[in-house]
Amino acid sequence: MYFELARRNLMRNKARSFLAMLGIIIGVMAVASIGIFGESLKATVLEGFEDVANEIIVIPSYSHGYTSISKEIVFKMEKIPYVDKYFPIKSHQSVVEYKSKKGYSVVYGMEEDSVEDLFKAEKGSIRLKGHCVVGSGVAERFGVRVGSKIKIDGREFRVSAILREEGARFDINPNNAIFISIDDFNRLYDEEYSMVIVKVKDISDIELFKESVDKIINSREEKVSIFEMRIILERIDEVFKQVTIFLMAIAGVSLLVAGVSILNIMLMSTLERTKEIGVMRAIGAYRETILKIFLLEALILGITGSIIGGALSLAGGYAICMIVLQSAKYVLAPSSILYIFEGILFGVATALLSGLYPAWKASNLEPIEALRYE
Amino acid sequence: MKEYVIELHNVKKIYQVGATQVFALNGVSMSVERGEFIAIMGPSGSGKSTLLNMIGCLDKPTSGRVIINSVDTSHLSDKELTTLRRDTIGFIFQQYNLIPTLTAFENVELPMIFKNVSRAERERKAKELLALVGLEKEINRKPKELSGGQQQRVAIARALANNPSILLCDEPTGNLDTKSGKAVMDIIKNLNIEKGVTVVLVTHDPSIAEYANRVVRIRDGMLEE
Repeated sequence: MYFELARRNLMRNKARSFLAMLGIIIGVMAVASIGIFGESLKATVLEGFEDVANEIIVIPSYSHGYTSISKEIVFKMEKIPYVDKYFPIKSHQSVVEYKSKKGYSVVYGMEEDSVEDLFKAEKGSIRLKGHCVVGSGVAERFGVRVGSKIKIDGREFRVSAILREEGARFDINPNNAIFISIDDFNRLYDEEYSMVIVKVKDISDIELFKESVDKIINSREEKVSIFEMRIILERIDEVFKQVTIFLMAIAGVSLLVAGVSILNIMLMSTLERTKEIGVMRAIGAYRETILKIFLLEALILGITGSIIGGALSLAGGYAICMIVLQSAKYVLAPSSILYIFEGILFGVATALLSGLYPAWKASNLEPIEALRYE
Repeated sequence: MKEYVIELHNVKKIYQVGATQVFALNGVSMSVERGEFIAIMGPSGSGKSTLLNMIGCLDKPTSGRVIINSVDTSHLSDKELTTLRRDTIGFIFQQYNLIPTLTAFENVELPMIFKNVSRAERERKAKELLALVGLEKEINRKPKELSGGQQQRVAIARALANNPSILLCDEPTGNLDTKSGKAVMDIIKNLNIEKGVTVVLVTHDPSIAEYANRVVRIRDGMLEE
Protein backbone atom coordinates (compact mmCIF):
# COMPACT_ATOMS: atom_id res chain seq x y z
CA MET A 1 0.00 0.00 0.00
CA TYR A 2 2.80 2.43 0.85
CA PHE A 3 4.41 1.36 -2.39
CA GLU A 4 1.18 2.08 -4.25
CA LEU A 5 0.92 5.47 -2.55
CA ALA A 6 4.51 6.29 -3.53
CA ARG A 7 3.95 5.12 -7.09
CA ARG A 8 0.83 7.25 -7.49
CA ASN A 9 2.61 10.28 -6.10
CA LEU A 10 5.24 9.88 -8.80
CA MET A 11 2.53 9.54 -11.44
CA ARG A 12 1.02 12.85 -10.34
CA ASN A 13 3.68 14.72 -12.23
CA LYS A 14 4.79 12.28 -14.88
CA ALA A 15 7.08 14.64 -16.80
CA ARG A 16 8.96 15.64 -13.70
CA SER A 17 9.38 12.07 -12.46
CA PHE A 18 10.47 10.95 -15.90
CA LEU A 19 13.11 13.67 -16.16
CA ALA A 20 14.51 12.74 -12.77
CA MET A 21 14.55 9.12 -13.84
CA LEU A 22 16.21 10.06 -17.11
CA GLY A 23 19.10 11.47 -15.10
CA ILE A 24 19.55 8.13 -13.37
CA ILE A 25 19.19 6.27 -16.67
CA ILE A 26 21.96 8.34 -18.27
CA GLY A 27 24.17 8.13 -15.20
CA VAL A 28 23.90 4.37 -14.84
CA MET A 29 24.33 3.91 -18.56
CA ALA A 30 27.50 6.01 -18.55
CA VAL A 31 29.03 4.25 -15.56
CA ALA A 32 28.15 0.74 -16.70
CA SER A 33 29.12 1.34 -20.36
CA ILE A 34 32.52 2.63 -19.30
CA GLY A 35 32.88 -0.35 -16.97
CA ILE A 36 32.12 -2.75 -19.80
CA PHE A 37 34.56 -0.91 -22.03
CA GLY A 38 37.33 -1.02 -19.40
CA GLU A 39 36.79 -4.72 -18.89
CA SER A 40 36.84 -5.35 -22.64
CA LEU A 41 40.01 -3.29 -22.98
CA LYS A 42 41.71 -5.38 -20.32
CA ALA A 43 40.51 -8.62 -21.86
CA THR A 44 41.77 -7.50 -25.27
CA VAL A 45 45.21 -6.64 -23.89
CA LEU A 46 45.47 -9.87 -21.93
CA GLU A 47 44.25 -11.86 -24.90
CA GLY A 48 46.72 -14.62 -25.76
CA PHE A 49 48.26 -14.50 -22.32
CA GLU A 50 45.70 -16.82 -20.77
CA ASP A 51 47.82 -19.92 -21.31
CA VAL A 52 51.02 -18.43 -19.90
CA ALA A 53 49.77 -18.06 -16.34
CA ASN A 54 51.40 -21.37 -15.44
CA GLU A 55 54.76 -20.31 -16.91
CA ILE A 56 57.85 -19.60 -14.91
CA ILE A 57 60.97 -18.05 -16.36
CA VAL A 58 64.24 -19.07 -14.75
CA ILE A 59 67.18 -16.77 -15.48
CA PRO A 60 70.72 -16.56 -14.11
CA SER A 61 71.06 -14.61 -10.89
CA TYR A 62 72.90 -11.58 -12.29
CA SER A 63 73.03 -9.90 -8.90
CA HIS A 64 75.11 -12.78 -7.60
CA GLY A 65 77.47 -12.72 -10.58
CA TYR A 66 75.91 -15.51 -12.62
CA THR A 67 75.49 -14.77 -16.33
CA SER A 68 74.37 -18.19 -17.44
CA ILE A 69 72.75 -21.38 -16.19
CA SER A 70 75.02 -24.40 -16.23
CA LYS A 71 74.13 -27.78 -17.70
CA GLU A 72 74.24 -29.28 -14.18
CA ILE A 73 71.62 -26.85 -12.92
CA VAL A 74 69.38 -27.52 -15.91
CA PHE A 75 69.82 -31.22 -15.26
CA LYS A 76 68.83 -30.79 -11.61
CA MET A 77 65.85 -28.68 -12.53
CA GLU A 78 64.62 -31.32 -14.91
CA LYS A 79 64.26 -33.70 -11.95
CA ILE A 80 61.93 -31.43 -10.00
CA PRO A 81 58.39 -32.82 -9.98
CA TYR A 82 55.42 -30.49 -10.75
CA VAL A 83 57.08 -29.60 -14.04
CA ASP A 84 54.88 -30.26 -17.01
CA LYS A 85 57.05 -28.85 -19.80
CA TYR A 86 60.42 -27.43 -19.72
CA PHE A 87 62.35 -25.44 -22.35
CA PRO A 88 66.05 -24.74 -21.77
CA ILE A 89 67.21 -21.95 -24.07
CA LYS A 90 70.60 -20.69 -25.17
CA SER A 91 70.97 -17.35 -26.91
CA HIS A 92 73.54 -15.29 -28.70
CA GLN A 93 73.64 -11.98 -30.50
CA SER A 94 74.79 -13.03 -33.95
CA VAL A 95 75.72 -11.59 -37.33
CA VAL A 96 73.21 -12.65 -39.97
CA GLU A 97 73.82 -12.48 -43.71
CA TYR A 98 71.43 -13.03 -46.59
CA LYS A 99 72.49 -12.16 -50.11
CA SER A 100 73.83 -8.63 -49.81
CA LYS A 101 72.14 -7.86 -46.52
CA LYS A 102 73.96 -8.11 -43.23
CA GLY A 103 72.73 -7.41 -39.72
CA TYR A 104 72.39 -8.53 -36.15
CA SER A 105 69.77 -10.78 -34.68
CA VAL A 106 69.28 -12.84 -31.54
CA VAL A 107 69.83 -16.51 -32.23
CA TYR A 108 68.23 -18.99 -29.86
CA GLY A 109 69.34 -22.56 -29.48
CA MET A 110 66.34 -24.68 -28.55
CA GLU A 111 64.92 -28.15 -28.91
CA GLU A 112 62.72 -28.56 -31.96
CA ASP A 113 59.66 -29.55 -29.97
CA SER A 114 60.14 -26.51 -27.68
CA VAL A 115 59.85 -24.19 -30.66
CA GLU A 116 56.83 -26.10 -31.87
CA ASP A 117 55.26 -25.82 -28.44
CA LEU A 118 55.80 -22.11 -28.00
CA PHE A 119 55.29 -20.72 -31.51
CA LYS A 120 53.29 -21.27 -34.66
CA ALA A 121 54.66 -21.33 -38.21
CA GLU A 122 53.11 -18.91 -40.68
CA LYS A 123 54.84 -20.48 -43.66
CA GLY A 124 56.71 -23.77 -43.97
CA SER A 125 56.99 -26.26 -41.15
CA ILE A 126 59.19 -26.08 -38.11
CA ARG A 127 62.38 -28.19 -38.53
CA LEU A 128 65.63 -27.39 -36.80
CA LYS A 129 68.15 -30.09 -37.71
CA GLY A 130 70.53 -28.26 -40.05
CA HIS A 131 67.78 -25.72 -40.59
CA CYS A 132 66.60 -22.57 -38.91
CA VAL A 133 63.26 -20.95 -38.16
CA VAL A 134 63.00 -17.19 -38.44
CA GLY A 135 60.64 -14.70 -36.88
CA SER A 136 58.37 -12.59 -39.06
CA GLY A 137 60.35 -9.40 -38.38
CA VAL A 138 63.62 -11.01 -39.38
CA ALA A 139 62.05 -12.45 -42.53
CA GLU A 140 60.83 -9.03 -43.52
CA ARG A 141 64.07 -7.24 -42.69
CA PHE A 142 66.28 -9.60 -44.71
CA GLY A 143 63.65 -10.51 -47.29
CA VAL A 144 64.08 -14.24 -46.68
CA ARG A 145 61.56 -16.90 -47.66
CA VAL A 146 61.05 -20.51 -46.76
CA GLY A 147 63.92 -22.35 -48.43
CA SER A 148 66.28 -19.35 -48.48
CA LYS A 149 69.81 -19.97 -47.25
CA ILE A 150 71.05 -17.54 -44.60
CA LYS A 151 74.43 -17.30 -42.90
CA ILE A 152 74.63 -17.11 -39.13
CA ASP A 153 78.12 -16.10 -38.02
CA GLY A 154 79.48 -17.61 -41.22
CA ARG A 155 77.60 -20.90 -41.08
CA GLU A 156 74.85 -21.61 -43.57
CA PHE A 157 71.30 -22.61 -42.59
CA ARG A 158 68.26 -23.25 -44.75
CA VAL A 159 65.04 -21.54 -43.54
CA SER A 160 62.42 -24.20 -42.79
CA ALA A 161 59.69 -21.93 -41.50
CA ILE A 162 58.70 -18.33 -40.88
CA LEU A 163 56.85 -17.76 -37.63
CA ARG A 164 53.52 -16.06 -37.28
CA GLU A 165 53.75 -12.54 -35.96
CA GLU A 166 52.96 -12.53 -32.28
CA GLY A 167 52.42 -10.02 -29.53
CA ALA A 168 55.56 -9.50 -27.46
CA ARG A 169 56.17 -12.09 -24.80
CA PHE A 170 58.00 -11.30 -21.63
CA ASP A 171 60.78 -13.80 -22.20
CA ILE A 172 61.46 -14.09 -25.93
CA ASN A 173 60.47 -11.79 -28.74
CA PRO A 174 60.02 -14.33 -31.55
CA ASN A 175 59.46 -11.70 -34.24
CA ASN A 176 63.08 -10.57 -34.23
CA ALA A 177 64.72 -13.90 -33.50
CA ILE A 178 66.18 -16.88 -35.30
CA PHE A 179 65.85 -20.37 -33.84
CA ILE A 180 68.36 -23.18 -34.41
CA SER A 181 68.84 -26.52 -32.70
CA ILE A 182 70.89 -26.82 -29.52
CA ASP A 183 73.39 -29.04 -31.37
CA ASP A 184 73.94 -26.46 -34.10
CA PHE A 185 74.15 -23.73 -31.48
CA ASN A 186 76.84 -25.69 -29.63
CA ARG A 187 78.84 -26.01 -32.85
CA LEU A 188 78.75 -22.22 -33.31
CA TYR A 189 79.20 -21.01 -29.76
CA ASP A 190 80.58 -22.29 -26.51
CA GLU A 191 77.91 -20.95 -24.21
CA GLU A 192 75.72 -22.20 -21.40
CA TYR A 193 71.98 -21.73 -21.02
CA SER A 194 70.61 -18.19 -20.80
CA MET A 195 67.15 -19.10 -19.53
CA VAL A 196 64.77 -21.92 -18.86
CA ILE A 197 61.05 -21.59 -19.43
CA VAL A 198 59.13 -23.95 -17.16
CA LYS A 199 55.46 -24.79 -17.41
CA VAL A 200 54.04 -26.34 -14.25
CA LYS A 201 51.14 -28.78 -14.31
CA ASP A 202 48.94 -26.56 -12.23
CA ILE A 203 49.13 -22.93 -11.14
CA SER A 204 49.08 -24.07 -7.53
CA ASP A 205 52.34 -25.95 -8.21
CA ILE A 206 54.24 -22.70 -8.78
CA GLU A 207 55.01 -22.26 -5.09
CA LEU A 208 56.12 -25.88 -4.74
CA PHE A 209 58.40 -25.52 -7.75
CA LYS A 210 59.93 -22.37 -6.29
CA GLU A 211 60.55 -24.11 -2.97
CA SER A 212 62.26 -26.99 -4.74
CA VAL A 213 64.50 -24.63 -6.72
CA ASP A 214 65.48 -22.89 -3.48
CA LYS A 215 66.31 -26.22 -1.85
CA ILE A 216 68.04 -28.00 -4.71
CA ILE A 217 69.73 -25.21 -6.69
CA ASN A 218 69.87 -22.08 -4.57
CA SER A 219 70.64 -23.82 -1.26
CA ARG A 220 74.10 -22.33 -0.78
CA GLU A 221 73.97 -19.36 -3.05
CA GLU A 222 71.36 -17.82 -5.31
CA LYS A 223 72.37 -19.11 -8.70
CA VAL A 224 69.09 -18.54 -10.53
CA SER A 225 66.21 -16.07 -10.23
CA ILE A 226 62.59 -16.92 -10.90
CA PHE A 227 59.95 -14.81 -12.64
CA GLU A 228 56.35 -15.84 -12.46
CA MET A 229 54.25 -14.90 -15.44
CA ARG A 230 51.27 -15.06 -13.16
CA ILE A 231 52.49 -12.10 -11.13
CA ILE A 232 53.12 -10.04 -14.25
CA LEU A 233 49.62 -10.85 -15.46
CA GLU A 234 48.21 -9.89 -12.10
CA ARG A 235 49.94 -6.55 -12.27
CA ILE A 236 48.53 -5.84 -15.74
CA ASP A 237 45.11 -6.83 -14.50
CA GLU A 238 45.49 -4.45 -11.56
CA VAL A 239 46.58 -1.51 -13.70
CA PHE A 240 43.60 -1.94 -16.00
CA LYS A 241 41.24 -2.22 -13.09
CA GLN A 242 42.53 1.12 -11.83
CA VAL A 243 42.12 2.66 -15.27
CA THR A 244 38.55 1.36 -15.38
CA ILE A 245 37.76 2.72 -11.92
CA PHE A 246 39.16 6.10 -12.92
CA LEU A 247 37.05 6.21 -16.08
CA MET A 248 33.98 5.10 -14.15
CA ALA A 249 34.55 7.85 -11.60
CA ILE A 250 34.45 10.39 -14.42
CA ALA A 251 31.25 8.85 -15.73
CA GLY A 252 30.02 8.89 -12.12
CA VAL A 253 29.80 12.68 -12.28
CA SER A 254 26.70 12.28 -14.44
CA LEU A 255 25.22 10.08 -11.74
CA LEU A 256 25.97 12.82 -9.22
CA VAL A 257 24.05 15.29 -11.37
CA ALA A 258 21.17 12.81 -11.49
CA GLY A 259 21.28 12.63 -7.70
CA VAL A 260 21.00 16.40 -7.46
CA SER A 261 17.99 16.40 -9.76
CA ILE A 262 16.26 13.77 -7.62
CA LEU A 263 17.06 15.82 -4.54
CA ASN A 264 15.54 18.82 -6.28
CA ILE A 265 12.24 17.22 -7.30
CA MET A 266 11.86 15.44 -3.98
CA LEU A 267 12.32 18.70 -2.11
CA MET A 268 9.72 20.34 -4.34
CA SER A 269 7.40 17.44 -3.81
CA THR A 270 7.86 17.66 -0.03
CA LEU A 271 6.95 21.31 -0.12
CA GLU A 272 3.92 20.79 -2.36
CA ARG A 273 2.61 17.98 -0.21
CA THR A 274 3.22 19.64 3.15
CA LYS A 275 -0.48 19.77 3.93
CA GLU A 276 -0.97 16.14 2.94
CA ILE A 277 1.88 15.15 5.23
CA GLY A 278 0.16 17.08 8.01
CA VAL A 279 -3.10 15.21 7.37
CA MET A 280 -1.40 11.84 7.44
CA ARG A 281 0.40 12.71 10.67
CA ALA A 282 -2.92 13.86 12.15
CA ILE A 283 -4.74 10.64 11.34
CA GLY A 284 -1.99 8.48 12.78
CA ALA A 285 1.07 8.19 10.51
CA TYR A 286 4.35 7.99 12.44
CA ARG A 287 7.40 9.93 11.36
CA GLU A 288 8.91 6.67 10.11
CA THR A 289 5.87 6.08 7.93
CA ILE A 290 6.29 9.43 6.19
CA LEU A 291 10.02 8.74 5.83
CA LYS A 292 9.21 5.35 4.34
CA ILE A 293 6.78 6.75 1.77
CA PHE A 294 9.23 9.39 0.57
CA LEU A 295 12.19 7.00 0.47
CA LEU A 296 10.06 4.57 -1.51
CA GLU A 297 9.45 7.27 -4.08
CA ALA A 298 13.19 7.86 -4.45
CA LEU A 299 13.74 4.10 -4.59
CA ILE A 300 11.16 3.57 -7.31
CA LEU A 301 12.82 6.29 -9.40
CA GLY A 302 16.24 4.83 -8.65
CA ILE A 303 15.46 1.17 -9.29
CA THR A 304 13.42 1.75 -12.44
CA GLY A 305 15.93 4.21 -13.85
CA SER A 306 18.90 2.03 -12.95
CA ILE A 307 17.45 -1.08 -14.55
CA ILE A 308 16.65 0.77 -17.76
CA GLY A 309 20.10 2.40 -17.69
CA GLY A 310 21.72 -0.96 -17.04
CA ALA A 311 19.95 -2.53 -20.00
CA LEU A 312 20.90 0.39 -22.24
CA SER A 313 24.50 0.20 -21.09
CA LEU A 314 24.84 -3.06 -23.05
CA ALA A 315 24.23 -1.03 -26.20
CA GLY A 316 26.46 1.78 -24.90
CA GLY A 317 29.27 -0.62 -24.02
CA TYR A 318 28.91 -2.30 -27.40
CA ALA A 319 29.15 1.06 -29.19
CA ILE A 320 32.23 2.25 -27.29
CA CYS A 321 33.98 -1.11 -27.76
CA MET A 322 33.23 -1.14 -31.49
CA ILE A 323 34.54 2.40 -31.89
CA VAL A 324 37.68 2.09 -29.77
CA LEU A 325 38.57 -1.60 -29.94
CA GLN A 326 36.85 -2.51 -33.22
CA SER A 327 35.53 -5.58 -31.44
CA ALA A 328 32.70 -6.26 -29.05
CA LYS A 329 33.42 -9.86 -28.21
CA TYR A 330 33.98 -9.20 -24.50
CA VAL A 331 30.85 -7.06 -24.01
CA LEU A 332 28.81 -10.06 -22.88
CA ALA A 333 31.58 -11.64 -20.81
CA PRO A 334 30.51 -12.33 -17.21
CA SER A 335 33.16 -9.93 -15.90
CA SER A 336 31.66 -7.18 -18.09
CA ILE A 337 28.10 -7.97 -17.03
CA LEU A 338 29.27 -7.51 -13.47
CA TYR A 339 29.77 -3.82 -14.24
CA ILE A 340 26.10 -3.53 -15.22
CA PHE A 341 25.12 -4.72 -11.78
CA GLU A 342 27.65 -2.36 -10.28
CA GLY A 343 26.14 0.51 -12.28
CA ILE A 344 22.64 -0.43 -11.15
CA LEU A 345 23.84 -0.59 -7.56
CA PHE A 346 25.40 2.87 -7.82
CA GLY A 347 22.24 4.23 -9.43
CA VAL A 348 19.97 2.90 -6.69
CA ALA A 349 22.35 4.10 -3.98
CA THR A 350 22.47 7.58 -5.54
CA ALA A 351 18.67 7.80 -5.65
CA LEU A 352 18.37 6.58 -2.08
CA LEU A 353 20.97 9.03 -0.80
CA SER A 354 19.31 11.91 -2.66
CA GLY A 355 15.92 10.93 -1.28
CA LEU A 356 17.21 10.76 2.26
CA TYR A 357 17.25 14.48 3.04
CA PRO A 358 13.82 15.35 1.56
CA ALA A 359 12.31 12.30 3.28
CA TRP A 360 13.89 13.28 6.57
CA LYS A 361 12.63 16.81 6.14
CA ALA A 362 9.10 15.60 5.34
CA SER A 363 9.02 13.28 8.34
CA ASN A 364 10.17 15.99 10.71
CA LEU A 365 7.44 18.47 9.86
CA GLU A 366 5.36 19.39 12.88
CA PRO A 367 1.83 18.07 12.19
CA ILE A 368 0.18 21.34 13.17
CA GLU A 369 2.51 23.47 11.03
CA ALA A 370 2.07 21.15 8.09
CA LEU A 371 -1.73 21.20 8.40
CA ARG A 372 -1.78 24.99 8.36
CA TYR A 373 0.37 25.14 5.23
CA GLU A 374 -1.50 26.37 2.17
CA MET B 1 -19.51 9.29 38.80
CA LYS B 2 -19.00 11.24 35.66
CA GLU B 3 -16.49 9.98 33.13
CA TYR B 4 -14.48 12.68 31.40
CA VAL B 5 -12.88 11.90 28.07
CA ILE B 6 -11.35 15.36 27.73
CA GLU B 7 -9.98 17.51 30.54
CA LEU B 8 -8.12 20.78 30.11
CA HIS B 9 -6.45 22.42 33.09
CA ASN B 10 -5.41 26.05 32.75
CA VAL B 11 -4.11 25.57 29.22
CA LYS B 12 -2.12 28.45 27.77
CA LYS B 13 -0.70 28.82 24.31
CA ILE B 14 1.59 31.76 23.75
CA TYR B 15 3.09 32.69 20.39
CA GLN B 16 6.04 34.99 20.19
CA VAL B 17 5.46 37.44 17.36
CA GLY B 18 8.46 39.74 17.18
CA ALA B 19 8.78 41.43 20.57
CA THR B 20 5.15 40.89 21.61
CA GLN B 21 3.52 37.79 23.06
CA VAL B 22 0.21 36.66 21.62
CA PHE B 23 -2.04 34.64 23.92
CA ALA B 24 -3.90 32.26 21.60
CA LEU B 25 -5.22 30.47 24.68
CA ASN B 26 -5.09 32.25 27.98
CA GLY B 27 -5.81 29.75 30.72
CA VAL B 28 -8.57 27.52 29.40
CA SER B 29 -10.04 24.90 31.71
CA MET B 30 -12.87 22.65 30.59
CA SER B 31 -13.99 19.05 30.66
CA VAL B 32 -16.09 16.95 28.34
CA GLU B 33 -18.04 13.89 29.41
CA ARG B 34 -18.20 10.70 27.41
CA GLY B 35 -20.99 10.92 24.86
CA GLU B 36 -21.34 14.68 24.97
CA PHE B 37 -21.76 16.82 21.84
CA ILE B 38 -20.05 20.15 22.36
CA ALA B 39 -19.92 23.12 20.03
CA ILE B 40 -17.14 25.65 20.46
CA MET B 41 -18.14 29.03 19.10
CA GLY B 42 -16.32 32.25 18.74
CA PRO B 43 -15.26 34.91 16.27
CA SER B 44 -12.27 34.27 14.04
CA GLY B 45 -8.97 34.64 15.85
CA SER B 46 -10.62 33.84 19.17
CA GLY B 47 -8.51 30.69 19.62
CA LYS B 48 -11.19 28.09 18.88
CA SER B 49 -9.10 26.22 16.32
CA THR B 50 -6.08 26.32 18.61
CA LEU B 51 -8.25 24.83 21.34
CA LEU B 52 -9.37 22.04 19.02
CA ASN B 53 -5.76 21.32 18.04
CA MET B 54 -4.83 21.05 21.73
CA ILE B 55 -7.59 18.50 22.29
CA GLY B 56 -6.48 16.67 19.14
CA CYS B 57 -2.88 16.44 20.38
CA LEU B 58 -1.67 18.18 17.25
CA ASP B 59 -0.36 21.12 19.22
CA LYS B 60 1.33 21.28 22.61
CA PRO B 61 0.31 23.85 25.21
CA THR B 62 2.86 26.35 26.48
CA SER B 63 1.61 25.53 29.97
CA GLY B 64 -1.26 23.65 31.55
CA ARG B 65 -2.38 20.05 31.08
CA VAL B 66 -4.44 18.24 28.46
CA ILE B 67 -5.84 14.92 29.63
CA ILE B 68 -7.41 12.59 27.07
CA ASN B 69 -9.09 9.39 28.35
CA SER B 70 -7.30 9.90 31.69
CA VAL B 71 -3.90 10.10 29.99
CA ASP B 72 -1.90 13.26 30.65
CA THR B 73 -0.53 14.12 27.20
CA SER B 74 2.12 16.58 28.33
CA HIS B 75 4.66 13.82 28.92
CA LEU B 76 4.01 11.84 25.76
CA SER B 77 6.53 11.54 22.96
CA ASP B 78 5.72 12.35 19.35
CA LYS B 79 5.24 8.66 18.67
CA GLU B 80 2.91 8.17 21.65
CA LEU B 81 0.88 11.24 20.66
CA THR B 82 0.57 9.87 17.13
CA THR B 83 -0.68 6.53 18.46
CA LEU B 84 -3.17 8.37 20.66
CA ARG B 85 -4.48 10.37 17.69
CA ARG B 86 -4.67 7.26 15.55
CA ASP B 87 -6.61 5.15 18.03
CA THR B 88 -8.72 7.63 20.00
CA ILE B 89 -9.36 10.68 17.87
CA GLY B 90 -11.08 11.19 14.53
CA PHE B 91 -10.48 14.44 12.65
CA ILE B 92 -12.88 16.19 10.29
CA PHE B 93 -11.47 19.30 8.64
CA GLN B 94 -13.18 22.18 6.89
CA GLN B 95 -11.30 21.41 3.67
CA TYR B 96 -11.94 17.64 3.87
CA ASN B 97 -8.19 17.00 3.44
CA LEU B 98 -8.51 13.72 1.63
CA ILE B 99 -5.37 12.30 -0.01
CA PRO B 100 -5.88 13.20 -3.69
CA THR B 101 -4.07 10.16 -5.12
CA LEU B 102 -6.19 7.67 -3.20
CA THR B 103 -9.75 6.54 -3.91
CA ALA B 104 -12.54 7.06 -1.38
CA PHE B 105 -12.09 3.45 -0.28
CA GLU B 106 -8.33 3.83 0.11
CA ASN B 107 -8.68 7.08 2.00
CA VAL B 108 -10.86 5.31 4.55
CA GLU B 109 -8.42 2.42 4.62
CA LEU B 110 -5.40 4.66 5.34
CA PRO B 111 -5.76 5.11 9.13
CA MET B 112 -6.20 1.33 9.43
CA ILE B 113 -3.04 0.76 7.39
CA PHE B 114 -1.23 3.04 9.84
CA LYS B 115 -2.58 0.76 12.58
CA ASN B 116 -1.54 -2.46 10.81
CA VAL B 117 -5.09 -3.77 10.56
CA SER B 118 -5.36 -6.87 8.38
CA ARG B 119 -6.40 -6.44 4.75
CA ALA B 120 -9.66 -8.38 5.11
CA GLU B 121 -10.70 -6.40 8.17
CA ARG B 122 -9.78 -3.14 6.47
CA GLU B 123 -11.89 -3.99 3.48
CA ARG B 124 -14.88 -4.97 5.57
CA LYS B 125 -14.67 -1.89 7.77
CA ALA B 126 -14.08 0.59 4.93
CA LYS B 127 -17.09 -0.73 3.03
CA GLU B 128 -19.23 -0.64 6.14
CA LEU B 129 -18.25 2.97 6.91
CA LEU B 130 -18.75 4.18 3.35
CA ALA B 131 -22.19 2.57 3.38
CA LEU B 132 -22.87 4.34 6.68
CA VAL B 133 -22.22 7.72 5.04
CA GLY B 134 -24.21 6.70 1.96
CA LEU B 135 -21.33 6.38 -0.50
CA GLU B 136 -21.33 2.64 -1.29
CA LYS B 137 -21.50 3.47 -5.00
CA GLU B 138 -18.61 5.93 -4.96
CA ILE B 139 -15.98 3.80 -3.24
CA ASN B 140 -13.61 3.72 -6.22
CA ARG B 141 -13.80 7.42 -7.02
CA LYS B 142 -10.90 9.79 -6.44
CA PRO B 143 -11.63 12.90 -4.31
CA LYS B 144 -11.66 15.22 -7.33
CA GLU B 145 -14.48 13.13 -8.85
CA LEU B 146 -16.65 13.73 -5.77
CA SER B 147 -18.71 16.74 -4.71
CA GLY B 148 -17.75 18.68 -1.59
CA GLY B 149 -20.48 17.03 0.45
CA GLN B 150 -19.40 13.58 -0.72
CA GLN B 151 -15.78 14.35 0.09
CA GLN B 152 -16.73 15.43 3.59
CA ARG B 153 -18.69 12.20 4.05
CA VAL B 154 -15.60 10.22 2.97
CA ALA B 155 -13.66 12.26 5.53
CA ILE B 156 -16.19 11.26 8.21
CA ALA B 157 -15.81 7.61 7.24
CA ARG B 158 -12.03 7.99 7.43
CA ALA B 159 -12.28 9.64 10.85
CA LEU B 160 -14.27 6.64 12.11
CA ALA B 161 -11.93 3.98 10.70
CA ASN B 162 -10.16 3.11 13.96
CA ASN B 163 -13.30 3.43 16.16
CA PRO B 164 -12.30 6.67 17.91
CA SER B 165 -13.98 7.71 21.12
CA ILE B 166 -13.66 11.40 20.20
CA LEU B 167 -14.61 13.09 16.95
CA LEU B 168 -13.08 16.55 16.40
CA CYS B 169 -14.72 18.65 13.71
CA ASP B 170 -13.25 21.96 12.56
CA GLU B 171 -15.96 23.88 10.66
CA PRO B 172 -17.12 20.66 8.96
CA THR B 173 -19.80 22.44 6.93
CA GLY B 174 -17.81 25.61 6.25
CA ASN B 175 -17.31 24.79 2.58
CA LEU B 176 -20.68 23.16 1.95
CA ASP B 177 -24.09 24.34 0.78
CA THR B 178 -26.96 24.11 3.25
CA LYS B 179 -28.30 20.79 1.98
CA SER B 180 -24.95 18.96 1.98
CA GLY B 181 -24.11 20.62 5.28
CA LYS B 182 -27.27 19.27 6.82
CA ALA B 183 -26.55 15.77 5.51
CA VAL B 184 -23.09 15.89 7.06
CA MET B 185 -24.42 17.21 10.38
CA ASP B 186 -27.12 14.53 10.49
CA ILE B 187 -24.48 11.84 10.14
CA ILE B 188 -22.37 13.39 12.92
CA LYS B 189 -25.40 13.74 15.19
CA ASN B 190 -26.37 10.14 14.53
CA LEU B 191 -22.92 8.91 15.41
CA ASN B 192 -23.17 10.81 18.67
CA ILE B 193 -26.57 9.42 19.56
CA GLU B 194 -26.31 5.86 18.29
CA LYS B 195 -22.65 5.05 18.82
CA GLY B 196 -21.98 7.33 21.75
CA VAL B 197 -19.05 9.04 20.10
CA THR B 198 -18.01 12.21 21.90
CA VAL B 199 -18.13 15.12 19.45
CA VAL B 200 -16.32 18.43 19.77
CA LEU B 201 -17.21 20.79 16.96
CA VAL B 202 -15.83 24.21 16.14
CA THR B 203 -18.12 26.57 14.24
CA HIS B 204 -19.23 30.15 13.99
CA ASP B 205 -22.62 29.17 12.52
CA PRO B 206 -25.36 29.23 15.23
CA SER B 207 -27.57 26.83 13.23
CA ILE B 208 -24.82 24.22 13.32
CA ALA B 209 -24.25 24.83 17.02
CA GLU B 210 -27.88 23.82 17.59
CA TYR B 211 -26.95 20.19 17.03
CA ALA B 212 -24.85 20.27 20.22
CA ASN B 213 -25.96 19.51 23.79
CA ARG B 214 -23.73 22.25 25.09
CA VAL B 215 -22.18 25.34 23.54
CA VAL B 216 -18.90 26.76 24.77
CA ARG B 217 -18.01 30.30 23.75
CA ILE B 218 -14.48 31.51 23.41
CA ARG B 219 -13.17 35.05 23.04
CA ASP B 220 -9.57 36.27 23.13
CA GLY B 221 -8.33 32.89 24.22
CA MET B 222 -10.66 32.63 27.21
CA LEU B 223 -13.90 30.71 27.70
CA GLU B 224 -17.10 32.55 28.59
CA GLU B 225 -19.82 30.13 29.64
